[in-house]
Amino acid sequence: MEIYLPIAEMPVNIFLIAGLGAAVGFLSGMFGVGGGFILTPFLMFIGIPPPVAVATQSTQIVASSVSGVLTHWRKGNVDIKMGAVLLGGGLTGSLLGIQLFNALKAAGQVDLFIALSYVIFLGSIGGLMFYESLQAVRAGGSNVGGTRREPGGHYWVHGWPLKMRFQRSKLYISAIPPALLGVLIGVLSVVMGVGGGFILVPAMIYLLRMPTAVVVGTSLFQIIFVAAFSTLLHAITNHSVDAILALLLIAGGVIGAQFGVRYGERLRSDWMRLCLAGLILLICLRLAADLVFTPADPFNLLVEGVE
Amino acid sequence: MRLAAVFALAVLLTAGFARAEDLAAGISRDKIEITSSFSGTDVVVFGAIENEEGEALPATEMRDVVVVIRSDKPYTITVRKKERVGPIWINRDMQRFAGVPGFYFLSSTRPLKDIARADLLSQYELGLDRLAFGPAPGAVGGPKEFRQAIVRHKQTATLYSQHEGGVSFLSGSLFRTTVRLPPNVPAGNLKVQVFVFAGGDVTSTNTMTLYIDKSGIERSLSELALDQPFVYGLLAVVLSALAGLAAYVVFRERG
Repeated sequence: MEIYLPIAEMPVNIFLIAGLGAAVGFLSGMFGVGGGFILTPFLMFIGIPPPVAVATQSTQIVASSVSGVLTHWRKGNVDIKMGAVLLGGGLTGSLLGIQLFNALKAAGQVDLFIALSYVIFLGSIGGLMFYESLQAVRAGGSNVGGTRREPGGHYWVHGWPLKMRFQRSKLYISAIPPALLGVLIGVLSVVMGVGGGFILVPAMIYLLRMPTAVVVGTSLFQIIFVAAFSTLLHAITNHSVDAILALLLIAGGVIGAQFGVRYGERLRSDWMRLCLAGLILLICLRLAADLVFTPADPFNLLVEGVE
Repeated sequence: MRLAAVFALAVLLTAGFARAEDLAAGISRDKIEITSSFSGTDVVVFGAIENEEGEALPATEMRDVVVVIRSDKPYTITVRKKERVGPIWINRDMQRFAGVPGFYFLSSTRPLKDIARADLLSQYELGLDRLAFGPAPGAVGGPKEFRQAIVRHKQTATLYSQHEGGVSFLSGSLFRTTVRLPPNVPAGNLKVQVFVFAGGDVTSTNTMTLYIDKSGIERSLSELALDQPFVYGLLAVVLSALAGLAAYVVFRERG
């Protein structure tokens, strides 16, 4: 069954889009990632113009994050205080990110920079996480993510000033590391055009040592605001949010997120980290393949819009 | 020499007479509404050629007809070419083009090269390789392959097409062609042009307009998105948050 999209100016299959929304919503509820890094390329693949794909996926992420975060909230798995500190850093970071993005654009090669930073970031985070969680799974049992000692981390964080008590996360640490982390995510999300959940989640587990269960809910909480802000920005500057496309994605997404949260709770935390690491590595491989393999058509078009 | 001069005069005279020919043309529909179930549509462009006395042309008079439908909504497009540097493919050269039509359809009685000379075809932008768009202001021209890449991509997207032999004559004077408007045809006005050729020259033309407009909810949404972008964006955010809330409530009650 086809429906015509008013902004993308093309028809799409209703069930295909809702199914895609459900799959991405499931990942979002389970891992606390937004899922834009899967959704955007897929939408472009079926012919949605890139600006519309980028803008509309952020609308769907608002919906699936709200759906997921409420369920986590009820179970006491959202650390609002930590989320607020991350968000504060994130907003500062996005302002810095815009400067960096414009500087890169002026130098050309912004695409290459983005692709390479994705591959390097995802490859190293995914690889480290995969190794760590595989060890944990083999050891059979360490159910409390983040209590393992990693090189670095533990000691220097504890010496910093501005200590705050994050009750939900059972942490008493300086507010500076999470704020700095927020800044980094903010910069990355502007430059790379993603919400940054897949970087934030591992960082909260390994750098801040938050319990895995709380990490997912807190990440979703943070993502709601980032995605809402990004939807508004796209709607105002590019007029590229397609309400009908968003509606179809949301219909699948909010339901998928509910199942994702439920399923994620049944997973042991070491297994969950392993699955997330696998997902991150898959995305990294896909992007690396795009860089390395000979493209079907070396020419690519960027439609800048109607004159 | 004299023979050649007489021949040239004869050609000029026939051309002069031919210009007095009259072309009447029409479209099966001149307004197309895009609704939520729009999946492309067909329209028929037809016409009749009459001689200077207002009579239908006899079947012995050979005429060529070219029908062009194009969107004059011009786009600016950047084309980049990837090249291999070490192990990876990166964008190297780029060119910006302005005035690229969003839609172009051509149908003709015969291959274009048999109908008229290349310079005349170029003058009227007849043929996918003769579209007049060029480098954007401030951009410099470069290899032709960048231009060709645009045409190729648009052809793949079914937005550009060329059908040599697509126009058929029902009698000496009546012709018709079927135009396929794909589902992704840009909304806005399309210019429909009919050219009649005789002896390699244009003898008459006719220009019509085909209105393509969104209607119903499609129209209201795109108007809101353009006129009230902040309200539209805010609505999108609030509605998606509410949808998330609704799913949570429904699932909580189910257990």
